[in-house]
Amino acid sequence: MKDLSSLKDLGLETSDTIIIGVVVLAFILTVRAFGSYFARFNNNINDFFFSGQRFSWWLPAASMVATGIGSYSFLKYSEQGYNTGMSSTMTYMNDWFAVPFFVFGWLPIIYFSRIKSVPEYFERRFNTFARYIALVILLAYMFFYIGYNFFTLGLVFDELFGISQMYSIPIIGIFIGAYVTFGGQTAVIFTDLFQGIMLYVAGFIAVFAGIYALGGFTEWWGWLPESHRLPFVHLTDNPKFNTAGLFWGEALAGSIAFGFMNQGFLMRYLSIKSVDEGRKAAFFNVLVTLPVSAIIVGAVGWIAKSLIMKQAAEGGISGYESFQITDTFVTFLIVCWTTVKQNPWVFGFVLSALLAALMSTTDTLINACAAVGIYDLYKPLVKKDADDAHYLKAARWVSVVTTIIGMLLVVWFVNQDGSLMSIHYKGIMIIIPAIVTTIFLGAFWRNFTALAACVSMIVGSVVTVMSVWSPEWIDGLAAFVSGPQNGKYYYMRALFGMLLTGTVGVAVTLVQHWFFPKSVKDNLERSNGLTIDTLDKAMENYKDGIPNHEIGEKVYELNIQIDDSLEKNYVSMNAANLETLKAKDEDLVYIADSRWYLGGLRSNHVKVKLDNTLENQTIKMSKATHTEAYLLEGKKLNIEKIF
Amino acid sequence: MEQKKSLNLIVPALILFTLVFVYYFPRFLIDSLGEANPWTSYLYLYGFGGYFFMIGLLLITKTGSCKFGRGRDTKWFTILCSGFIALMTLHAVWIHLALSIPVKSGVN
Repeated sequence: MKDLSSLKDLGLETSDTIIIGVVVLAFILTVRAFGSYFARFNNNINDFFFSGQRFSWWLPAASMVATGIGSYSFLKYSEQGYNTGMSSTMTYMNDWFAVPFFVFGWLPIIYFSRIKSVPEYFERRFNTFARYIALVILLAYMFFYIGYNFFTLGLVFDELFGISQMYSIPIIGIFIGAYVTFGGQTAVIFTDLFQGIMLYVAGFIAVFAGIYALGGFTEWWGWLPESHRLPFVHLTDNPKFNTAGLFWGEALAGSIAFGFMNQGFLMRYLSIKSVDEGRKAAFFNVLVTLPVSAIIVGAVGWIAKSLIMKQAAEGGISGYESFQITDTFVTFLIVCWTTVKQNPWVFGFVLSALLAALMSTTDTLINACAAVGIYDLYKPLVKKDADDAHYLKAARWVSVVTTIIGMLLVVWFVNQDGSLMSIHYKGIMIIIPAIVTTIFLGAFWRNFTALAACVSMIVGSVVTVMSVWSPEWIDGLAAFVSGPQNGKYYYMRALFGMLLTGTVGVAVTLVQHWFFPKSVKDNLERSNGLTIDTLDKAMENYKDGIPNHEIGEKVYELNIQIDDSLEKNYVSMNAANLETLKAKDEDLVYIADSRWYLGGLRSNHVKVKLDNTLENQTIKMSKATHTEAYLLEGKKLNIEKIF
Repeated sequence: MEQKKSLNLIVPALILFTLVFVYYFPRFLIDSLGEANPWTSYLYLYGFGGYFFMIGLLLITKTGSCKFGRGRDTKWFTILCSGFIALMTLHAVWIHLALSIPVKSGVN
């Protein structure tokens, strides 16, 4: 029986290593080619970061698959699946509680207000000081993730090929930095779509190979211990993975952080053509993408447990080499190598999925950091009124700098003790509670003031950091969570931080309103359109008119007639077509190339006008409108009303 | 004084109630079922989760962010509630199957 504590123990032949390397390299080059093609769809800075709010829901939703699964996910969740079983799905399947706040609150607020970043929201909702406090916290969050992804990729390369992180990380960093730098958000979305598909295919291969080795689904379930079958882990027992902590740390703080402040995800939602489509993407993400992803990243660990149990009971698995896992960190790779019967081509393909996971998460984060760098630092502080070409150039430089900082942060991660899971949550649970709570209060409580936002973010962040050295402060909230003192409060620190920030924020707001009403006199006016109860105003601003909510039907396969006398970003149609759309003069509509599989790549938002001289199924627009929507001559288009 | 009058007290009241709930609910569950019972974890998650989910529904309907009959709001609201029930049911069935189907190795 092989006792495997590292991949070096697999005893890969040189020829196997070369084949695996060739498959991985082929994958990298394919992704690079994909990214380069879509780099052409960047006319301006809005396209570079947000792809011009034009995509159908399924495109960003599908590309979010790859973004949501980091390189560490396969390793971390397979390890967790092996140790605690199907409860490894918990972090992926507990997001529903925050969905009402997102789909009816935060999403329409940022979309209709055309908010580019969370710090920008803080400036508009509160003041400049709040913006920069939020910026510091947000950058800490983003850089933490970028550094962590580079770090875990370096570990994989070290384990598998024996390539030092010193070399593997700069090479991968330069590669990712290059296509993000030149491609922008459109390249990121399309390469992530491709990588997401690859990731799912490779993940399913690993799962099916494992189930096949076991002799079928019933065998897998039958050999799985009861503790490993359960969807939830013990309420309090394991200090690093318990239901109580996961609820506060992951289901609330983590989900809100991912949905509300992860700039990468926000930019995906802001690239979608309408809020309605954004809701579709959000529901699809929580109901389909996340559960499937939970299976893809964790199932190999569950299979490993059944294999070990069956092997122990029956003395081996017929047709497969016996093995024992002593280092659970490499569970995914060891089980996969064994169950694909040491086939280097298949294994190389599965390994490419790990790479896809890393690249797709990191490219999104680099693009997101660049967006924050331009909109929150460069534009307001360095050069206010430059043209788009200048900002596009600056954005590319910021992407380069972001990549370099991310790579440098690996030095810090290398010096951290503990498992991948513990390093991850130790950092995240300190960074997010204060800002998550402040965003929440800002978006959902109109009376929440600028002073309260600043004070609560500073106090919340500082005290949460200090609780690392004084964990006894959290005792009152989490005394029943057992475990060693130093590892006790990974998750419950999030609850502590959120409650503290919330209490300070509410207290300061109430004191201001009750005792210093003059200090909050402009609060209501400033928050108009930026809170959940003022969304009607936000919609009016977005449309620059009164929204028309009547539901119409889409009109398909329209012929385009070019007429330069029509204003830019206006189209005209006859009364019959407008009636089908249930649209009136000046309503906001969305035009797109009729080929659905483009997902809105060639499309734009425009306003519609009545023109009864036009025939049915004909739409008129200027050449400028046609060009700006990336439409092609001779191709038909579809139109639908936004509101 | 105008500001004081218009100040909405629902949020502070909810936060106060939440603090009390956060403190007593887990203790009630542990006293009733024990920490190791799989249903304790289930009820903890859906108890607290359900509480926040309900606050979310209350908030979006009371503030007018979700208006029944406007656009597709009713449809989204229905999906929202159905999704919650579906996930809650899925997890309950999952626990039931995990506990009721015998394990081949006899190891629990």
